[in-house]
Amino acid sequence: MNSLLRLLPYARPYVWHFAGVIVLVLLYNGTSVLQPYLVKIAIDEDITGPHPSVHGLFVIAGLYLGVSLVGLVANYTQVQVLQYAGQSVIRKIRVALFTHIERQSMRFFDTNAVGRLVTNVSSDTETVSQFFTNFFLSMVRDGLSLVLIIAAMYRLDVRIATYSMVLLPILFGISLVFRRRLRERYQATRTRLSNIIAFLAENLAGMRIIQIFHQEQRQARAFGELNDAHRQASVREYRLSVMFNRTFELLGNVAVAAVVWVGGWAVLRHAIPFGTLYAFITYIRQFFQPINSITQQWNTLQSTIVAADRIGKVLAVEPDVRDPEDPVDLTARGPIRGEVAFEHVSFAYIPGRTVLHDVSFRVPAGSFVGFVGATGAGKSSLMSLLTRFYDPQEGQITIDGVDIRRLRLEDLHRVIGLVQQEVHLFTGTVADNIRLFREEISDEAVRAAARAVGADEVIERLPEGYQTRLFAKGANLSMGERQLIAFARIVALNPRVLILDEATANLDSKTEALVQRGLEAVAKNRTTLVIAHRLSTIRHADEIVVLDHGRIVETGTHEALLERGGLYAQLHRKSSVEAVG
Amino acid sequence: MDNPRQLLKRYFLRHRWSYALSILSIVASEIVMVQFPHLLGAFTDALQAGRVNGPALLRYTLWLAAVGIGYVALYGFGQMRNGTLGRKFEYELRRTLFLHWETLSTSYFRQRSVGDLLNHALNDVRSVRDALSGGLNILTNAVFLLASTLVMTFRTVSVRLTLVSMIPIVVVPFLVGWLGPRIRQATRQAQEALSDMADLTEESITAIRLIKATANEAVEQRRFTDRVDAIVRRQMGVFRRSALMQSLIPFMGSLAFVVALTYGGYLTITRQIPLGAFVAFTLYLAMLITPLQEMGFVFNYFQRASASLQRLEVLLTEMPDIHDERDAVALPPVRGEVRIRLNAFTYPDGTRPALHDVDIRVEAGKTLGIVGRTGSGKTTLVNLLPRIFDPPPGTVFIDGHDVRSVTLRSLRQAISYVPQDGFLFSTTIGENIGFSKEGATEAEILEAARLAAFDEVIETFPEGLDTVVGERGVTLSGGQRQRAAIARALLKDAPILILDDSLSAVDMNTEKTIIANLQRARRGRTTIVIAHRLSAVRHADHIVVLDRGTVVEAGTHEELIRRGGLYAEIYRLQETEQGVTA
Repeated sequence: MNSLLRLLPYARPYVWHFAGVIVLVLLYNGTSVLQPYLVKIAIDEDITGPHPSVHGLFVIAGLYLGVSLVGLVANYTQVQVLQYAGQSVIRKIRVALFTHIERQSMRFFDTNAVGRLVTNVSSDTETVSQFFTNFFLSMVRDGLSLVLIIAAMYRLDVRIATYSMVLLPILFGISLVFRRRLRERYQATRTRLSNIIAFLAENLAGMRIIQIFHQEQRQARAFGELNDAHRQASVREYRLSVMFNRTFELLGNVAVAAVVWVGGWAVLRHAIPFGTLYAFITYIRQFFQPINSITQQWNTLQSTIVAADRIGKVLAVEPDVRDPEDPVDLTARGPIRGEVAFEHVSFAYIPGRTVLHDVSFRVPAGSFVGFVGATGAGKSSLMSLLTRFYDPQEGQITIDGVDIRRLRLEDLHRVIGLVQQEVHLFTGTVADNIRLFREEISDEAVRAAARAVGADEVIERLPEGYQTRLFAKGANLSMGERQLIAFARIVALNPRVLILDEATANLDSKTEALVQRGLEAVAKNRTTLVIAHRLSTIRHADEIVVLDHGRIVETGTHEALLERGGLYAQLHRKSSVEAVG
Repeated sequence: MDNPRQLLKRYFLRHRWSYALSILSIVASEIVMVQFPHLLGAFTDALQAGRVNGPALLRYTLWLAAVGIGYVALYGFGQMRNGTLGRKFEYELRRTLFLHWETLSTSYFRQRSVGDLLNHALNDVRSVRDALSGGLNILTNAVFLLASTLVMTFRTVSVRLTLVSMIPIVVVPFLVGWLGPRIRQATRQAQEALSDMADLTEESITAIRLIKATANEAVEQRRFTDRVDAIVRRQMGVFRRSALMQSLIPFMGSLAFVVALTYGGYLTITRQIPLGAFVAFTLYLAMLITPLQEMGFVFNYFQRASASLQRLEVLLTEMPDIHDERDAVALPPVRGEVRIRLNAFTYPDGTRPALHDVDIRVEAGKTLGIVGRTGSGKTTLVNLLPRIFDPPPGTVFIDGHDVRSVTLRSLRQAISYVPQDGFLFSTTIGENIGFSKEGATEAEILEAARLAAFDEVIETFPEGLDTVVGERGVTLSGGQRQRAAIARALLKDAPILILDDSLSAVDMNTEKTIIANLQRARRGRTTIVIAHRLSAVRHADHIVVLDRGTVVEAGTHEELIRRGGLYAEIYRLQETEQGVTA
């Protein structure tokens, strides 16, 4: 419940909308209650009264029509206003949630599955939106209906009204019990249906196996069991819902009979006029709808609370990598040179399991440095620290002599560029994928960037050139083409420092040459740090840093390291054999 | 296979008495229900005339209660039966669908996405069921309620009053029929906008490192906000339409009421009808609006169900393209001699032959090795044997019998197969291995696992054979999956065993163990091994080398090495590679 309340501030800007909804609901409910009352007046005064009057009847009818029209407009407007407000609140929550998630450090994404976060953003918010629309509306509209009906009943006749109140607890009780069990059965049916889906998905995919091992009958039997279980659950759910609806209807009919009994006596004793009895019969029927609806919202409220809890948990996480209180402005001190230094850096993803031990090195501005080592030697961790995906436990990392923790994250990331092993594509055009949807990068700049890395030719060959739509999942580009796009991205963004995690995938020799040329184009005029998987990439590096188990074991140029005959020389021997295979 | 329309017809016929009973009970319930306003009207008149005393009041009350209970009981009974029957049909339709799918061949599944097929099995079946249970209830209810209400008002109130007052509400079913599909369309668009947003979220979070490293958070936020705004717009589109329907329907009711009040009141004042008739009529009017509204819904229900039936019909009338020939005979006990004499084989959906000029002979009990580059036709070739794809008649023989002339069941009984991907079901490891032989004992399963060098893997799982594989269980590595699939194939113990590149993901040592086990366990029975690594086939009695769909070399390992062709070249390349990895 608290988590739901914490979401209320998002509704604050729309407080007047919600107030307007209350007014409109009042108006609409007023018209509904007024209608039977008008008929009562018509019956008691114009039709059966001492002076029957056709004129009076017409006036009442005219009023009735007017009231109905007001009701129509009020109802339509109410739905629009409420839904607009509700949707806007959810829009705000969604944007806030998404922004919040994107602000988190990598630690957050290490521990939270993508699928769960997507659920938080899309379906949990959808569930919460019901709180601001259906639930709110039901409380206002149905609550109000109940109050108005009860008030009208008491105004007409206190005694009969009091008798009628017996119904209230009975209806609520029955409804709540039924609703709870209905929900259980609904969920049982859902679970069994998803079993069917899972079974079908798998068996359709593996139909070949079933047929080769001629197990059709066995699988048909297994499917039959799931199918039957679903049918039973579905029938049970359906029966209960029929029971529920009919029980409610039964009570309604019996209640009318009871009113006739009680009210009839009153009319006989001339305690009330007949019109009052008529109105009572109408009111007692109107009693049921709001109660039914309120209990339905009880279910909504429960699932809303669960969803709000999940959203609240995400929103409560504070990013552990944050902007400093008083950031240093790098550009204020003249052009950025791009000198990178690690000073006694130690780091562990999980406390106690250190992956980098007291690492120090310096990369002069504009140079090309390669990092090599076995898998798990700590190459990627080094780069994750430089981009501040994580902060080190000890030591500091500087750019042009400034500790990167004293820079705003945005400024840091404008200085540093990253090309990952795996190239992520976004649903959108090739051009958008190069400019990463940034409006300030013109089509011209995009083309220039593509030309610079040699991606131009490849892109022009695509069906619609730069306007060809790409899809994140449906990989309609080859691995090499993806690499070139990633290079073009970097040139378009133009950072001073570039981190390149070389792709391991095997490319054919022609693409390989293209990619190699692209890489050289990208590295030009930048400080470049390369995590190399093929030693040929860094043969000409200004310096090579060799890592082993989180420590720097050797540094030097290719020739110097070979001469030394250490780990690098060993790796080199192995890789040249591999290249033949 | 069965046409779903005939299926539906037969179902109706088979359950005709059940349906007659439930429809009858719904009709009876309507006849009872329309007595309610009539009773109230009579009561009103009696009251006015001063003819009501204590016992009479009690009688009226009891009658009202009896009518109320009777209606609910009768309607509830009919509704429940129809709902249950509809769900039974849903069950049978899904069953038919699955049995039908089981008869279709791999080329059918190759051309369709599982998602599409699932959609048929879920949504199309459900929309037929909805029309059959809910739709039928509402239709019966609406038609008879309408009919009996009209009869009652004509008889007891006034034909003219009824007809005049009904004018506004006759519009209602058309209104629903017109707006309903538009609301559905708008809802679908809103759903699409919602899934667009979910897709973007997933895309963005997956690429979070890139986004952070390029300081692109603000741009992503803008893109996200665009998607969210689209949702708001689309949702409002839905609500504009649905609010129109929700407010117009009760308004039409009110309009009818105004007419009734004016005209009916006038008739009452001028004493052309009694007050009771007027009261009863206003109640009848209220009863009319719901069935009229529901007629519109029912119309939409049936429209959707009919489209679904059509789609299901297309699905169910698909003929299996691989089936027993008319004069197919069961394969007699198999020795295991395989003969392939193929001019050309082209996939049903292909244009160029995938295989041509293949002539292979494997003597019973021998081992055949097949090697070749990716795409050279190795898998296609072995798929012809168990007729996963149908070879042309007279090209593939087992013990001299054309595979096209024997029954599928007997053919497949004689062959065991390990697929390339090591496809497993998401059940326990034990059930996966035991899949090939119903009622296999645990000892047999463990023995098969041992032969596939999979027993030591099983031992590392705390739950052993009961460990669940896949989505909600332990994720197996590629090599482990292959070994499980090999164990599954070995458990079947068929005269012919095919391994389709099923050792590609296991390490060298395990491969050695498995090959040695196979040589021992399969002695005297035919084995066909497709392999990428030559170490897996070098001990075969006969090796064929495929290239671009045809056999380019054949012989024993030594012969092929001596020959110095493609095989020898691959061998040289792999030897140096192994020198590094070993």
